[in-house]
Amino acid sequence: MGLLSILIFLPLVATLLILAIPSSAKATYKYIALCFTLLQFGISLYLYGNFDAKLGGIEQMDAYQYVEQLAWIRMDLGTVGKLEIDYFIGIDGISLPLIVLSTLVMLMSVGASWNIDKSPKGYFALLMILNMAVMGVFSALDFFLFYVFYEVMLLPLYFLIGIWGGARREYAAIKFFIYTLLGSVLMLLVIVGLYFSVINPATGAHTFNMLHMMNPANYVDGSFFAHITNYHEVFGIPARLIGFIVLFFAFAIKVPIVPLHTWLPDAHVEAPTPVSIILAGVLLKVGGYGIIRVCYSIFPDIAANTNWWLALIGVISIVYGALNALAQKDLKRMIAYSSVSHMGFVLLGIASLTAEGLAGAMFQMVSHGFLSAALFFLVGVLYDRVHDRYIYNFRGLASLMPKYTAYVAIAFFASLGLPGFSAFIGEAFVIIGAFNAESMSTGIPRWMAVGGSIGILLSAAYFLWTLQRMFFGQTRLQGGQAWQEALTDLNTREQVVLFPTVALALLLGIMPSLVFGNLNASVIQLIDLIKPYL
Amino acid sequence: MNVSIPHILDQIIASVPLFKPELVLIIGFIVCIFTALFFEKRWKNSTFIACMVTLAFSLYYLIDQMPNTGTGFSGMWLVDPLSTYARLVIICSTLIIAIFLQQRHSKKNNGDVYSILLAATLGMHVLSSTSNWLMAFIGIEMVSIASYILVGYFSQNKVQSEAAMKYVLFGSVCAAVMLYGLSLVYGLTGNLDFQSAMHLQGLMDAPKAIITLALLFIFVGIGFKLSFVPFHVWSPDVYQGAPTAITAFLSTIPKVGAIVLFARLYQSWTSTAFYFSELSTWFIIGVAIVTMLIGNLAALRQQDVKRMMAYSSIGHTGLLLMAVFAYQDAFSYLLFYIVAYVVMNLASFIFIDQIEQQTGSTSLLSYAGLGKKMPLLFTAFTLVAVSLIGIPPTVGFVAKLMVFTSTFSFFQSSGDTGVLVMLIVGALTSVISLFFYFKIPLYAFLRDTDQPVAVKKQISVLLCIAYTLTILVILFGIFPNWLMAYLSTSFS
Repeated sequence: MGLLSILIFLPLVATLLILAIPSSAKATYKYIALCFTLLQFGISLYLYGNFDAKLGGIEQMDAYQYVEQLAWIRMDLGTVGKLEIDYFIGIDGISLPLIVLSTLVMLMSVGASWNIDKSPKGYFALLMILNMAVMGVFSALDFFLFYVFYEVMLLPLYFLIGIWGGARREYAAIKFFIYTLLGSVLMLLVIVGLYFSVINPATGAHTFNMLHMMNPANYVDGSFFAHITNYHEVFGIPARLIGFIVLFFAFAIKVPIVPLHTWLPDAHVEAPTPVSIILAGVLLKVGGYGIIRVCYSIFPDIAANTNWWLALIGVISIVYGALNALAQKDLKRMIAYSSVSHMGFVLLGIASLTAEGLAGAMFQMVSHGFLSAALFFLVGVLYDRVHDRYIYNFRGLASLMPKYTAYVAIAFFASLGLPGFSAFIGEAFVIIGAFNAESMSTGIPRWMAVGGSIGILLSAAYFLWTLQRMFFGQTRLQGGQAWQEALTDLNTREQVVLFPTVALALLLGIMPSLVFGNLNASVIQLIDLIKPYL
Repeated sequence: MNVSIPHILDQIIASVPLFKPELVLIIGFIVCIFTALFFEKRWKNSTFIACMVTLAFSLYYLIDQMPNTGTGFSGMWLVDPLSTYARLVIICSTLIIAIFLQQRHSKKNNGDVYSILLAATLGMHVLSSTSNWLMAFIGIEMVSIASYILVGYFSQNKVQSEAAMKYVLFGSVCAAVMLYGLSLVYGLTGNLDFQSAMHLQGLMDAPKAIITLALLFIFVGIGFKLSFVPFHVWSPDVYQGAPTAITAFLSTIPKVGAIVLFARLYQSWTSTAFYFSELSTWFIIGVAIVTMLIGNLAALRQQDVKRMMAYSSIGHTGLLLMAVFAYQDAFSYLLFYIVAYVVMNLASFIFIDQIEQQTGSTSLLSYAGLGKKMPLLFTAFTLVAVSLIGIPPTVGFVAKLMVFTSTFSFFQSSGDTGVLVMLIVGALTSVISLFFYFKIPLYAFLRDTDQPVAVKKQISVLLCIAYTLTILVILFGIFPNWLMAYLSTSFS
């Protein structure tokens, strides 16, 4: 049992522990959850500290670190051949930052769950299962294993939103579930197709191993997804293109891109604060991660030909999300739409197919991960106190809650891409990448980079406008005196949760090499993989 | 036909060892009739015990028979791994059904029900170990008649009698049509063994119009047992009207026998490139697609959980047909799907029954707020529902994946668009099925109720079985090897 496995399955132990302890001792649940997530965070920092930044990963098996490979399922299906499924995990520069981010966000979300009193047993058990699935998704290198973790993520989320959510929770929960499942069942068909197209060179059996799928030499000639001599068509579209589109569709729902984003505002608004934090902080990143790890690495040829469209979708998401955020009157909804806009940068960066753009996209994912978590936490603080988050119901909060206002202001400025904060680095690199793409002839025109910059402008508009509307001016509250008394400033627990994120935003803004250092080799490796097809 | 009588006798005696599990069932059937007549009044449960002993012995002989393959009774009786494993599944699930009946319906003198159950089991055994049309028809009729009685056996009100009546009428018509089809086939081929060369030759030479008619007629009979579209209309009413224990029986065991028969038939008929095999292929693709769609779409509108399960099992029949379609030399995944299906269905019907005992209702609305009162039961029920949808890490997912895998390999070699459509429909219907299966946790956990429901705490044998089945659902989902290694040992 390696360190990575321990990282993945620690939450499962926590779940069992929580289920075993009787409900009379329900005060202990949150401490158990906290202990285990702290432990996970420690492990992920250790992984980070001992990570060899020179190794690339992507399709080279030797370059993965903390690798564990065990034969898991071996089934003889007769004429269909042997089913070869491994418990195969490992991390490279793409997954490492996201794993560290996930453990941090999980820690924040446990901190945000401190006051949950509606059946805490079920709540923390589900939260821990979700935690396990997320870690599994980011470290799985076998497609079957990846899919299992990917789907296991859905169930706890459905219940977390559905039971502990707001007024329209049933609708939001099922909508989220349906959207994601729709993407993933079609993905399953592509996985099966890939399985039949790829041979493990060592054993000669078909395999679910993702790394084997990334090597064109392992494809069977004439098979459904074969690289060369592939005459398969589905409704007149080449098979490999279809495979890419279906996989992209599945992950794009997660990202989410416009027009597949409509589940996100609903899910975010109805979800309880800790779940919003996880949704924005980690689950959207699963989409971006999937596009890099699966779509781009397994279908580099298609990725090179379709990146114009992907970049276009990215730009549309940036601008459309920002315009929507501008129009929102619910603070949480506004932040949800700002997520759509910021994740558009990730897509634009990935599609630029330049080292700067890809690194920027990864950086943007990390930065958006903890910043959006902080933003949702801040909304939660307000909502906890007065159960309202309608922007126009608040005015002049600055004099009432000075500390809170300071945190909000920093988080807003960091998110809108003020130089010196992490989001600036991410967005700037994406724009640079998109701008350079034309000279690198990857097929991305310059106006798309300009479109991205308009998004930054718009994000400044909606964040600053909101700041002005809610926090400055004469104090005037919808709830009158009762609200004035309820709106106390941040307490110690809330500050303990918030401070690290703000500090991190500043730290990464000044020293981006903390993230870039580890992912550089992998990004270059990925570019090398795609370059021959450009 | 100049075979001497001693020769025939010799062959019959030689075939007896292959027939041991069924002989035990026959003896048990007769014993049960007697115990129900004479002992049931004095010793309650005596028939139940007799039935259990019979099943246990039958199981013993089946396991004993495991390595054997062979044919007996002049080729009428066929023992191969497929039949042995199918019969194992049948016997094991009959055991559970018998316990189910005993737990639920022991108040009155209901001894006869066990003998009928044994008769049905015998019929299923016949179905799963023959390639002869005559035997198959006898098997189908045995199962059908036993099922008619079972559905009507406990009927106390109009709805239940109506269900039984509908079932009988529909069943008899289908059987008659099938018999007519069989007579046509016999006339065309002169042979009743559908695996024999003579039979296939006869089908090849036959005129297209007649062969189409005959084949469709035969499929009517099988379709009734499997309840695929358009012969599914009886099943929602019957499932809803019958007592839950009987519904559990109807939704699982008869399908096992029928699907094994259909798989054998399909395999022998499609191995040629002639008209009738093409017809069968198109038939099965079309029916599978329509069945998956109609089963899952109709289930969306149901408010009664038993009726919903009826449509869900129609949907699963579509997937089973897909498994049959992809049935090649190795049928381990077909068996895997069957085992998964049986385990999931038995567990869910036990849960439905337990909830019905507590609330007196099978309406989904009555589940509101029950999740807090019975957390363990509804958690397990939700896991089974997840498995029925086909989401990992459950056995339902692995089963679905294997069916998709084998069908895809078919598609890759043939490039047939119909197969691809079938695959896509199979994938999409699992999204549709999410809607209705998740009504269970939706009502139980997400909704609250105003009406206080008194929940008695009780631990019953049935619940223990259901929890064990739920654990199996997860365990086989994570380690399908354990089941698969067992299923495929004698297949390689």
